[in-house]
Amino acid sequence: MTSVREKIGSSGFHRTVLKNGSPYCYMKVCLLDQETRLNAVELKSLIITGLKDLHGEVGAALPFDVLKFDEGSLTAVLRVCSGGLVKLWSSLTLQGYYQSQACAFRVLQVSRFNL
Amino acid sequence: MCSDLDRTPRTLLVCDRSSFLDEKNRVSPQVEKLHFNHKVSVLLPGCSVTPSNLDLVMNTFSSFYLIKKLPVHELLDPGLQGAINQGVVYGLSFGTRIDEDTCVALMPKGRLVLSLDKDSYELLGVEGKPSRFNHRTCSRFVVSVDLTDSSMAPGGRGHTRLLTGLRSHLQLQTDFLLSHHPEGGASLQPLLSRYDWSKHEPEVSCRHLTDLTCPDFRSCDCHSLLEWIGAVEADISCESSSSSFLSSFTCPEPNDVLSHALSVSICGLLLPHDVQRLIQELRCHLQQTQLESWASLTVHGFIDSPVSWGDNEHGVLSGGENFYNLLMFPDHTYHLHLATGAYDTCPP
Repeated sequence: MTSVREKIGSSGFHRTVLKNGSPYCYMKVCLLDQETRLNAVELKSLIITGLKDLHGEVGAALPFDVLKFDEGSLTAVLRVCSGGLVKLWSSLTLQGYYQSQACAFRVLQVSRFNL
Repeated sequence: MCSDLDRTPRTLLVCDRSSFLDEKNRVSPQVEKLHFNHKVSVLLPGCSVTPSNLDLVMNTFSSFYLIKKLPVHELLDPGLQGAINQGVVYGLSFGTRIDEDTCVALMPKGRLVLSLDKDSYELLGVEGKPSRFNHRTCSRFVVSVDLTDSSMAPGGRGHTRLLTGLRSHLQLQTDFLLSHHPEGGASLQPLLSRYDWSKHEPEVSCRHLTDLTCPDFRSCDCHSLLEWIGAVEADISCESSSSSFLSSFTCPEPNDVLSHALSVSICGLLLPHDVQRLIQELRCHLQQTQLESWASLTVHGFIDSPVSWGDNEHGVLSGGENFYNLLMFPDHTYHLHLATGAYDTCPP
């Protein structure tokens, strides 16, 4: 997937083009549930449960990070290896309950760069 | 099927390493070509307050106008032609989404770009080309018109056709952001007087950081570096250990701890020439500081802009990124990273 093209000019100008070089994808997600109050650890557990329900034990073992979580707006920044993006995204989409209460994730932005 | 699950849209990252003293360096044209900048972030080590000369530049970025419900045919008004021909006016539709609405961009070289859905394109009746972001069927088209062309002079064939299409057939109205170089202000006044408009100054916000873990830029790879800069700007902690349950994100090795750093961000419709001024001032600032210093400047383009660099078409897909990061060192060397999202053309 990754390709690199390099060009070095005689004057010292050096250009590298990286195609699909980023090892991670970043997702900004928001939990749509006005009444739920949860912290970052509970959020990660909820996402792991969703991954396990949809993709089984292999899905539950998918490494991802909760880089940031705002408990007020229930907005989180997640980091996942590029190959795991579709699995994580699909499990977030199909996540419908938290502690028997209806909830949903809205994916606000997905990027290969953390900027 | 399993292999399909692993596939993600392509991205491009162009990394240039050179010196400002090198005659072949292309920083200036690359900065000029990203016309519609939404946010500029600066990271400065060793500062707890913004140095006065930098503060002056950051607070004198050009102001911009937001015009409510501007009929797009007003951009063809003969009164505006003078400013457009001088190449000093920047305009972008506001609150429109590139993948579902009609988006309009007026570029400083006098080029008007309309990104239209199929129905609007057929109503307009002006020749365009299918968008490169179409999936299977042609559902989006791009019309690009050079307003400085002789046929676009008031009364000309192209001008009449586009004016009729925009005014009578499509009746396109949109909220519009407009900015100009200092010399273009007078030409805009007749247009502003006819519509509901407000003037905005770019918003400047400052954050003082302490005990910041910082990687060694000379040895760090591009993606790790951008990830770290993004983490600092988004106030994401790099302190977690690799065995932490929540996050395994850490600052790239080898790293060092900075006692003070300053993160400044400026938001609005920001013009490339203001970014150029800021780069010059950052270079002057680096000359006055110690040798180990550096400065990072990140510039984000508008996600929903129909163009990214130059007149290259831009689409959003999932991220809509079009940004660059310029890392400058006191010995005049720089690292420039330019990135675009899926299906965008390679940056210049």
